[in-house]
Amino acid sequence: MFKRLTRWWPLPALIILLIYPWIWRAPYYHVLGFNMLLFATMASSWNIMGGYTGYKSLGHSAFFGLGAYLVALAAVHWGWNPLLSAPLLALVVALVAVGLGWVMLRTSGSAFVIATIAMLLIFRLLTLNLRSITKGAPGLSQPLPPWTPEFSRMPFFYYMLAWVILVVLTSAYIRRSRFGLGLLAIRDDEGKAKMVGVNTTLYKMLAFGISAYFVGVGGGVWSYFATHISPVFAFDIIVGVEMILMTMLGGLGTLWGPVVGAFILIPASDFILFNFGSTSIHLAIFGALMALVILFLPRGILPTIKDWIAERRAPSQAHAEALTMAEMQAASERDLALVDSSVPKVKSGTEQANR
Amino acid sequence: MMASLLSTEKLTKHFGGITAVEDCSITVQEGSITGLIGPNGSGKTTLFNLITGIYKPEAGDVYLRDECITRAESDKICQRGLSRSFQITRLFWDLSVLENMIVPIRHTGLRALFGPGMFHEEEERALALLKRVGLAYLKDQPANKLSFGQQKLLEFAAILMADPEIVLLDEPAGGVNPSMIRFIMDLIRGLNDEGVTFLVVEHNMGVVMELCDHVLVLDQGRKIAEGPPEMIQTNPAVLDAYLGI
Amino acid sequence: MHLPSTNVLVQVVIVGFLTGGVYALMSAGLTLIFGVMKVINIAHGAFLVLSAYIAYWLFTLYGLEPFLSIVVSVPVFFLMGLLVQRFMLAKVRGEAGLTVLLTFSLALVIEGLIGWLWQSTGRSIRTWYTSEIIPIKIAEVSVRLPVVRLVGFVLAAIALLALYLLLNRTDPGRAIRATIQNRDAARLVGVSVDRIQALTFGLGLATVAGGGALFSVIWTFNAGSHEEWISKMLSIIVLGGMGSLPGAFLAALMMGVVESAAAVTMTSYISPIVFYLILFLTLIFRPQGLLGARIREG
Repeated sequence: MFKRLTRWWPLPALIILLIYPWIWRAPYYHVLGFNMLLFATMASSWNIMGGYTGYKSLGHSAFFGLGAYLVALAAVHWGWNPLLSAPLLALVVALVAVGLGWVMLRTSGSAFVIATIAMLLIFRLLTLNLRSITKGAPGLSQPLPPWTPEFSRMPFFYYMLAWVILVVLTSAYIRRSRFGLGLLAIRDDEGKAKMVGVNTTLYKMLAFGISAYFVGVGGGVWSYFATHISPVFAFDIIVGVEMILMTMLGGLGTLWGPVVGAFILIPASDFILFNFGSTSIHLAIFGALMALVILFLPRGILPTIKDWIAERRAPSQAHAEALTMAEMQAASERDLALVDSSVPKVKSGTEQANR
Repeated sequence: MMASLLSTEKLTKHFGGITAVEDCSITVQEGSITGLIGPNGSGKTTLFNLITGIYKPEAGDVYLRDECITRAESDKICQRGLSRSFQITRLFWDLSVLENMIVPIRHTGLRALFGPGMFHEEEERALALLKRVGLAYLKDQPANKLSFGQQKLLEFAAILMADPEIVLLDEPAGGVNPSMIRFIMDLIRGLNDEGVTFLVVEHNMGVVMELCDHVLVLDQGRKIAEGPPEMIQTNPAVLDAYLGI
Repeated sequence: MHLPSTNVLVQVVIVGFLTGGVYALMSAGLTLIFGVMKVINIAHGAFLVLSAYIAYWLFTLYGLEPFLSIVVSVPVFFLMGLLVQRFMLAKVRGEAGLTVLLTFSLALVIEGLIGWLWQSTGRSIRTWYTSEIIPIKIAEVSVRLPVVRLVGFVLAAIALLALYLLLNRTDPGRAIRATIQNRDAARLVGVSVDRIQALTFGLGLATVAGGGALFSVIWTFNAGSHEEWISKMLSIIVLGGMGSLPGAFLAALMMGVVESAAAVTMTSYISPIVFYLILFLTLIFRPQGLLGARIREG
């Protein structure tokens, strides 16, 4: 029964999400819900790079802002419907990410982090200064959504829900693929991964591009949602930091960690903002929270829970006993006969990756 | 005369003021089990690192068959058929035994890249190899839970997954109990019969004498002698290098 | 790109050079911390701004000469550094990704507190010499040297010299350099790496306290300024070679000059990003920086 719960919990959660806007009808809840889904999508996207490969980009909001501006400009100049153009223009964002990744991934992890910050700042400064295109600091407005005020935020909610599902499916697919295994190997020991034939540069570039895609979509949708965007808000480093914090809170490198983290952090952040008003102390609390998570819950909520459950079921053994060669081979012959008839093959490899 | 599978030509590598490898030219014949010995600091591991692309030499070249791989990236070298183990065992510690087997690949390509993690044929091969080294019953254990000897076996089995033509082993018998040494030697011989060439760095002279059909001796970064194992024991240059006689 | 007159160009290069000296002091601690601890201290910018605020308040409330604020800020920051290292950074040792995030969260806390305490008004210090210029003539070119930048450069040079002597002539300093070069070897000869790390972080913050004092009289700042400045400092140390003090010095001077020259020669949308473009170019063509060691993977 418990096992079935751990496997199938997304389903009731999905149902709750589907009816959520109809139960809580005040626009505030729709906005909250939208933000939760938006960040769940973007955090999951970031996780594909930061969680699976270990390369933590601190400047990911560059892709958020880029997506926002591309979609806004397309809406203003060509009348493109953002809900349709976002997935398309996010491909441009992904390509830019792959290109920049080619430059930035040649260096070690530390330099990579710095490069991503620089990347974000370059984007912001360019946006501020290329006034002829972006209208500079005052920002850019696009046409309001056509649907009636009664529904005002609901379509955004459902649209984002679809994207959460898509990003989680993508993330799950990647983990089960050879590609995903390669990414985990890179995180574990990049030098060794290269030695055994993994084209680490290509893998990292691809992961980076994919991780930028959904963030680009998020930015595009947000620009429609907010109607008015400006460089300071579109290229805010905090957006990227939130993606990281949520992922770490939920469980870095896990499938659902970012989603769980987003669903906890967005309401909490809202609560803090509401009660402490001024944005500055909000920052301090945010930073303090982040420090606490890093210091005391470094693996995140989901892995900690998982370990706790696993420990109760079967206390961990230290090293596998060193048997003699003959004993090991006999055991291998025996167990192999059992293995062939047991669980489907795809599952066996991914249990370990699900940490 | 057998073809040369791997050769280096006048390889030279400096680290600041230290010359680790100097003017080193070696040849590994196809189908052989070639030993590489020499006192500590003679440059054996550096030579391995140069061959596998971790270091780039200041001078000289490395050839795999006829292809010059001196400047090639490590992953390309592996894909060309050269695999290597490390003196201090290196595995993907958080991945399972089976996953460690699947990561080494010989082929890239869209299907291989994005297809489901383990293709049926590959999982079968992996399990067969694991069975051969007696690790199959541990296939879902994370690599960091294995004992030292088991980790060494896993590293060995994993590099075979890339279906290499030549395997560079860095002290395969180091720190391992006698029954496992015997097992590893039989494994190497068995694989050699199946066509895999080996270049083995080893300090355990018993292993070298029994296993290798050709031995290269390095001292202070240079090759000072080579020949059949018995010759090495009487070669004055070798004795001088090891014992200072 | 339009070339201004020789006069302007020389002026701009010299001022840029002087500014570079101040940049050097600001960044010295950052590269030192990285060299010893392999930690990117994202909070360095926030500490810089904090030190500037201390100088500002001491000047505004007590009339204390900004450069003298270091008497207060340097020891305080040194102590803070020891504490932060001991109780925060030491806990996440090894995990490079986590330490970056930890220092980032520290930066946020500092920014938040500064903003809450002192609001978002831009601060700057105006002393009697803030607008003073010393006109000099080099060959046929007349140059107007801003006193603040000149004094800043001289003080920064003195501070860096002190740092140099500290690192080369004292035992703790030698231990620090040894740890930068080879941590394990340093351990083997008896260096207590834990203590050295704490010492280094304290030293790093102490230097940025000094840098902040100089910074406070030259630029305007508020709680949010740290973001811009940490990016500049990071660009400097990457260019110089992360972990290399002489590299940081060289890179700081270069950046100062380039930034200054770019402001008058290049279009309005290139000059603000010059720093970051240089960073990117460094990463493409010479990732180890000017004087850094090539990081070997594998």
